[in-house]
Amino acid sequence: MQPAQVSAQSIDPVTLQIVRGALRAIQSEMEAVIERTAMSPFIREKKDFYAALFDGAGCLVVGSNLPVFGDVVGPIAEHYPLDTMRPGDIYWFNDCYASKGAVSHSPDQVFVAPVFAEGRLSAFAQSWAHFNDIGGMRPGSLSPDCTDIYQEGIIVPPVRVVREGVIVEELLRLFYRNSRFPEMVKGDTRASMAAIRLGERRLSELFDRFGRAKTADAFDRLIEETASEVRSKLRALVPQGTHAFTDTVDSDGQGHGPIKLRYRLEVAGEHITLDTSESDDQVPGPVNFLMSPPVPAMVFGSYLLGEGSQSILNAGVERAIDEVIVRPGSVLQPTFPAPLGMRGVTMMRNMATCLGLLNVATGGRAMASHSAYVIWYLRGRDDKGELFLMSDGLGVGYGARPTADGNDAVYLVAQENFPSEFLDSVFPVRVRRYAINPDTGGPGRWRGGCGLIRELEVLAPEAMVSMRIDSVEHPPWGVAGGHAAGTGRCVVNPGRPTERVLRPLSDGNIVERGDVVRVETGGGGGWGHPFDREAERVLADVRGGFVSRACAEEHYGVVSEDDGASIDATATDRRRADRPRTKLFHRHGYHEVLS
Amino acid sequence: MAAHSEAPAPSLIVGIDTGGTFTDVTLLDPATGRVWTAKTPSTPDDPSQGFGNGIAEVLEVSGRSGADIARVLHGTTVATNLILEGKGARAALLTTAGFKYVLEIGRQDVPRSASLFAWVKPKRPVPPERIFEISGRIGPDGKELQPLDEAAVRAAVWTIKTQGISSVAVVLLHSYANPAHERRVAEILADEIPGALVSLSSEVLPVFREYERSMTTILNASVMPVVSTYVERLDRRIAERGIAAPLLLMKSSGGVTSIRTVRRAPVETALSGPAAGAVGAAYVGASSGHPNLIGIDIGGTSADITLIHGGEPGLTTNGRIGKWPVGLPMVDIATIGAGGGSIARVSDTGALMVGPQSAGAMPGPVCYRRGGIEPTVTDAHLVLGHLPPYLLGGSFKLDVEAARNAIRRQIAEPLGLELEAAARGILAIVDNNMVGAIRVVSVERGHDPRDFSLLPFGGAGPLHGGALARLLGMSTIVVPPGPGVLSALGLLVSNLKAEFTRTCLQKAGEFDAGTVARVFAGLEAEALAWLDAEGVSEEARSVTWHASLRYQHQGFELNVPWASRDVTEASAAATVAAFHRLHERLYTFAQEDTPVEIVTLRVDARGIFPTPAMHELPPVGALEQARVGTQSVFFEAGRAESGIYARERLGAGARIDGPAILTQLDATTLLLPGQVGVVDRFGNLIVREGA
Repeated sequence: MQPAQVSAQSIDPVTLQIVRGALRAIQSEMEAVIERTAMSPFIREKKDFYAALFDGAGCLVVGSNLPVFGDVVGPIAEHYPLDTMRPGDIYWFNDCYASKGAVSHSPDQVFVAPVFAEGRLSAFAQSWAHFNDIGGMRPGSLSPDCTDIYQEGIIVPPVRVVREGVIVEELLRLFYRNSRFPEMVKGDTRASMAAIRLGERRLSELFDRFGRAKTADAFDRLIEETASEVRSKLRALVPQGTHAFTDTVDSDGQGHGPIKLRYRLEVAGEHITLDTSESDDQVPGPVNFLMSPPVPAMVFGSYLLGEGSQSILNAGVERAIDEVIVRPGSVLQPTFPAPLGMRGVTMMRNMATCLGLLNVATGGRAMASHSAYVIWYLRGRDDKGELFLMSDGLGVGYGARPTADGNDAVYLVAQENFPSEFLDSVFPVRVRRYAINPDTGGPGRWRGGCGLIRELEVLAPEAMVSMRIDSVEHPPWGVAGGHAAGTGRCVVNPGRPTERVLRPLSDGNIVERGDVVRVETGGGGGWGHPFDREAERVLADVRGGFVSRACAEEHYGVVSEDDGASIDATATDRRRADRPRTKLFHRHGYHEVLS
Repeated sequence: MAAHSEAPAPSLIVGIDTGGTFTDVTLLDPATGRVWTAKTPSTPDDPSQGFGNGIAEVLEVSGRSGADIARVLHGTTVATNLILEGKGARAALLTTAGFKYVLEIGRQDVPRSASLFAWVKPKRPVPPERIFEISGRIGPDGKELQPLDEAAVRAAVWTIKTQGISSVAVVLLHSYANPAHERRVAEILADEIPGALVSLSSEVLPVFREYERSMTTILNASVMPVVSTYVERLDRRIAERGIAAPLLLMKSSGGVTSIRTVRRAPVETALSGPAAGAVGAAYVGASSGHPNLIGIDIGGTSADITLIHGGEPGLTTNGRIGKWPVGLPMVDIATIGAGGGSIARVSDTGALMVGPQSAGAMPGPVCYRRGGIEPTVTDAHLVLGHLPPYLLGGSFKLDVEAARNAIRRQIAEPLGLELEAAARGILAIVDNNMVGAIRVVSVERGHDPRDFSLLPFGGAGPLHGGALARLLGMSTIVVPPGPGVLSALGLLVSNLKAEFTRTCLQKAGEFDAGTVARVFAGLEAEALAWLDAEGVSEEARSVTWHASLRYQHQGFELNVPWASRDVTEASAAATVAAFHRLHERLYTFAQEDTPVEIVTLRVDARGIFPTPAMHELPPVGALEQARVGTQSVFFEAGRAESGIYARERLGAGARIDGPAILTQLDATTLLLPGQVGVVDRFGNLIVREGA
């Protein structure tokens, strides 16, 4: 929903700061409840959840650092007008199309409670969590094989699951019956509802303390403050004119691709427009990303606020950009019922495309590109015939920055891995290797982050692998002289006669007892010319196994002595004396413009 | 030690708490409750020097000799600082082939509050080139799947030796289930590098989750050389003072242990200082009839929050020291960056921010006149009249004008506020930040702060206690007699304690009573051996069994007491029932129909010292004798004349109506209008809202 008009009443800076701190604490309290009461490893170990707070008009006041965004309250209000809501209600949905992308794939369940103050609807508390399995074509609900959204699990349109404190049990029973793991779904639902109940209570206390008008005014101010900061920072960064950038998703997993995201950032005076309409059409496979239009602004906002600011990521970031143009029928605005389950790859490419625009606009003073985080499933029955579902999220390398290396082996904000000892003891697998994937960090003055390697042996009689790797055909680009990153792949039985490479985005891959599955993930692009990296740092990377000696010599121009412990300064100087000309971006060679 | 009984028996207990600035020493005669104290500057280059000076000073003050000392108790920050500052020794790590990068990858997350774009992954305490991979594999059930490659071990050890590394960590996959390979590596290490310091993960933390176990073990290895030298020096210092009594060090878990244990597992002292504070807080609570407490220790740069339930500080196995997870049982303390030195600033967007930047002890608040130019929380207190214009009983003058000018120019004028409104705003913001943190800490542990009393301590705690309790709806505040030296008190009342833990994964429906019994028996044997080594007499021993359990498919465990000291169907069932109940208390629901799995077993051993008698205050004299002045104080409702009282002159039963200021050497207490403080017989000030 649109931000409300800022009221003329001026709140004092002390109350504003207290409300800011209180909102952050409420969000943390809610997240603590979800984390500690949920059932599924997806939430408990992997931590794929967050909490958020909205004002009475449905504007986000406190969001998360995840690259997600959208109008959560609007879709509910279409079915349940705001004036029919009552204290004690809880609303729920996962309907991507009905929510215009506020939820972008069906396993994400959104629960929302209205909060009342002085008898009037004044705020909303929301929880968001990825549920393990909500039915659909395959265990885990998501599969690269899906051809429409009905195959991706049960669709819950906005429904009122609790009315004035009374739970509509029939709705939940219907939902649980559709899951292959009803106990987990039951626990996760309960955790989500408990969290927003706490959020509701805490917000009520806040309204009681400062009064409805003053608290609402604080909400407006917090949104306004964020808006003003991101607007001015973006305008200070990007010069007048049109800046264009194109990035690419490899494939939809069903033989269609490459898929281009073509963005144009038009800066005219204070007015900034982002036009995504030239992006490719939607595809049959599930990499369509039903992008809520504020999502790019959220990426810019999050990038610009960085670590130093105290502004909160909220609806204010939307105003970084005045207008976002999306084209219905494009991969960013697919038509119902196109499948969306693997939208993560396109979401991460959207992020890279936004970074690309900033680099074009600033002549390469922004972050380089990253690989899309990898997630794969191993599903089957163990020796006792019991169904198992292992969903293993794997970190990748992120892009180097003008001031720092890219991070090695990171998945996303707040989301954790499964320890190897956990996998070994809970699933019919034996992890053989969990390592840094060398040479995947794009060489640069600042090195891109490295991806990782997870290798395991299958101990079940038979299992099916679903794999999701992107950025293979189109490696994450480097910038300002930095090179592109190395890429990922999945190999079954590496080094054996039965070795085979799986398609990076594929499902239905059957493996058997004794088979070895090795998943390698890609890195992030480099920043600045690798010859400018201090030789000592390169050598440290070689010693640590992040960069091979061959790569150090070829790309960094750093020659080490035979013992690998010291630098051959003369040879290094010689190698570095001959520096080829560079262009702004690098992917399969240097280019001024990527297309 | 509880058994030294030859006459004339040494009987005094001495506690030495080494802090960043001062070393506090307290000598207690447990027969009479008489206490002597001394305060000497800490000596960061060699903390054992301050330790020795402090003991000498307290012996002089008390007129007693080293021969009268029955035990020496010590809280140290040596290991803590090594970890926080990344200054541990160059250690090496031997690990299972394929898993060299476990530390580097970590949990592959960016912290929830951090920016994906700006965050920089912290540098690990050991780089990959000092990590050596060894073939050989143990399964999660403890079965050997592949024999240890001893040739590879020898090759790695040779490299380690040639690099001159003397401290080595060994972390092999699933070693919690079977430590045989790790032990064999240790034998080879002892063979090849005589005198090497070796940390085995199966001894330091035999618990599953390889990243946390690896981090804990490597931190242990990296602090071991310095801590070993340190405890040797301490031993010498006490010998120099003619003390023959044993030296016991406070561990992160809130119990003390001999230096023999500390040498082997120095990382167990990583939270030594704060743990002593928590033990002191629990003791004050229990002795004043407030077993459920939230302790908040407010110092110069940070506030430590501890939840004490049933007279015991909570323990966690998910603690962190700085950036790193340390999976050992430790007192559950949450730290936020808010304290007396927290700096107030107006941001570019016109917001008033307080902390987390701090002026610390140097340069300190503006009013200290040590070069601080940015206004702090302490300056705001001074401007409002919460503090008299001096500290330390008058020996340290505070510059009120400088504080007023700083707040006026840097906060009030830019924001268009009155001076006092700006100062009150600074305090309101810092108080509310602390309240938010206390709430999060409580909900994470399944509690409501209103069911607790508040125990504010540390130099700045009692200035904030009144406001915090009101904001949280807590009805009682307990201000201990020495809020600034509660850690020293904690040392004096602490008991010997050790925890023996081992992961013993029992899947739902495959519960093997024999295995559980065997693991418990092994842990109990370790516990008894430790009690023997510490010289704990039979009647002073306490041994308890615990288990951490989880619902099937969950990745998170809860720790509950094992129902008895045997493994039967009945005791297992009772333990599972206790798990359901705890789950319900913490998380509002139990899933009785979901299978429960056993994850980790733990045996706690304690050696209980006789509770020392505590000094009781004589009854109240005339209140006027304690009144040393009055001062005009700005409260939210307006200005009010408030009495200033010397805390040490208040007798038992004294009743003071707020507004009032209570001064003492180590802290200042503020009673808000409407609050009433009553001194109990141990000198605690019990504050409630007036009727």
